[in-house]
Amino acid sequence: MIYGDKDTGILVQGATGKQGEFHIGLMNAYARQVGGRGVVAGVTPGKGGQQVHGVPVFNTVKDAMKEHDIGSAVIFVPAGAAADAIMEEANAGITTIVCITEHIPVHDTMKAIAYARMEGAAVIGPNCPGLLSPGEVKMGIMPSGLFSRGNVGVISRSGTLTYEVVDELTRAGIGQSTVVGIGGDPVIGQTFVDVLERFEQDPRTKAVVLIGEVGGNLEEEGAKSTDLPIVSYIAGVSAPPDKRMGHAGAIVEGGEGDARSKIARLKNHGVPVASRVSEIPEMVRELFRCRC
Amino acid sequence: MKLREYEAKKVMKEAGIPVPAGFLIRSADELTPHLGGLGDAFVLKAQVDVGGRGKAGGILMADKKSGLAVARELFGKQIKGLAVHEILAEQRLTIQHEYYLSITVDRSSKQPLILFTEAGGVDIEVTAKEHPELIRRATPNPLMRDLPPFMLRELVGTAPKEIGPVINKLYRVFIEKDALLAEINPLVTTPGGVFAADAKIIVDDNALGRQGIAVNRGLSEREREAEKNGFSYVELDGAIGVIGNGAGLTMATLDLIEYYGGKAANFLDVGGGAESERVMNAVRLVASVPSVKVIVVNLLGGITKCDEVAKGIIAAGISQKVIVRLAGTNEAEGRKLLSEKGYEMLDTMDLVVKKAVEVTA
Repeated sequence: MIYGDKDTGILVQGATGKQGEFHIGLMNAYARQVGGRGVVAGVTPGKGGQQVHGVPVFNTVKDAMKEHDIGSAVIFVPAGAAADAIMEEANAGITTIVCITEHIPVHDTMKAIAYARMEGAAVIGPNCPGLLSPGEVKMGIMPSGLFSRGNVGVISRSGTLTYEVVDELTRAGIGQSTVVGIGGDPVIGQTFVDVLERFEQDPRTKAVVLIGEVGGNLEEEGAKSTDLPIVSYIAGVSAPPDKRMGHAGAIVEGGEGDARSKIARLKNHGVPVASRVSEIPEMVRELFRCRC
Repeated sequence: MKLREYEAKKVMKEAGIPVPAGFLIRSADELTPHLGGLGDAFVLKAQVDVGGRGKAGGILMADKKSGLAVARELFGKQIKGLAVHEILAEQRLTIQHEYYLSITVDRSSKQPLILFTEAGGVDIEVTAKEHPELIRRATPNPLMRDLPPFMLRELVGTAPKEIGPVINKLYRVFIEKDALLAEINPLVTTPGGVFAADAKIIVDDNALGRQGIAVNRGLSEREREAEKNGFSYVELDGAIGVIGNGAGLTMATLDLIEYYGGKAANFLDVGGGAESERVMNAVRLVASVPSVKVIVVNLLGGITKCDEVAKGIIAAGISQKVIVRLAGTNEAEGRKLLSEKGYEMLDTMDLVVKKAVEVTA
């Protein structure tokens, strides 16, 4: 397991907002289903003493930490307050911070991540769906119905595309160890390299599906950093340069980070790259065949 | 959003970076009262939102005598298809040496990345490829407001010392203006000191509000309409309209169109939790693109409810064919609504895309 398991107590920052409330309900429904602890505390400044789906709400992260054993946090606060939320959690000693919030100015993200790094916290996101380890824990907004337990790790820069891939894997009988959405912004906390490092330490994960997109070269850096067998898919082959394809990070800048050269570099490194999402399950099977 | 040169230079001037004397004109006649203020010889630079304007004839040399005629000529030009509405008239510098200086956001280190080279005056990408050793780099901790002196010394190297303060001032601009890019290319030395001969600043679209920028000029009219609805929208030039939820899934749908030999007309991500009215607006927006013959809707419902999507598609009531793939929350209800109205539905994204390519072939 990476980043957490059944025993991980989760804190939700922005607990009384519409999104926070909705997803505390879903995260705890999943926790009940798998026998996990789920969300044990919420935080919204000024709303301390309230409850959301039976979960106590506190004014500050430190207040919540005094009364509960908390290992990770999930952030649903608006863009203007999200960097502050990351720093508050890191400062309080939470070591895994999942930031769902999108549209955070990149300078805020850079500062929050630099600060979290000094405090020893790992930030997943921002602008991400979080992570889900089937049968163990859900931290974020992934639709758990599509998932099945197994030994393939999935790392992705996007949300719904990840669900599409997970759905294809599950239908093909290929279960997942942990699925991590690292986020679609240009600056994100945990990159492919960081998550792969965790997967290498995880006895359950035997292979990894790496879902990337145009922009930057984090996919290639990740593939080079690990000995785990990988299948990749890169979205944005048809993306024109200098146009932002939805994600702030999905942009081909100055001729860099286009999908075709990314795919070529991955293939050069020996990583099989699917041209279509529907090809991924068969390519994962092939991976296991050659390794066995 | 990219600032125009005169806007970027104003920002830099306010930050204490020397820029050439100059002023903006919106018609040739506006030049007359200022003639002489820039010395005998000066430069006229078209302020258009497009790269490579120099090569496209957007920068012209002028003097006191020819100034008015040259300004008229430039206002009459189209630079890469864009009309010239604004011209920056600027003092001509006596350049001794050209340097390159830029600050960007580095995805790998998650920090600002400063690049400086004494081998300026040529394409920086060419230098980066052929002589990477000539480019000096630094990745400062973004929590610092000023660069430490050692970092400035490392960057400046054997170049004139007066460049150090310019680098620190540009770093401040980068931080304070929420810039994704702050670039001076070229940074020049002249008998009168160091100047930013050109200036480029790109402001983070997510920070336009707090930077006091009300309208994102980088967007076309339809893109602005899309933005109002909260859609991510990019216009392309094919016949197949695309509506998806989530940037990655929508991009993958576009790629699949290309894979099967078709051409997408657009990228439209409706975002999460779309209700029927938003879906209706999305369908109408895509249908309004003249080249669109068929629309592919590829939605994977998590927070998005399929029955809401179906209602939106039906309410849009457009003339083009709509081919739908819906999966997830309330899928059965959504399918029922659409099939009653005779819409074509297929089970996977491969199937809907294949079908759309066949229709437009």
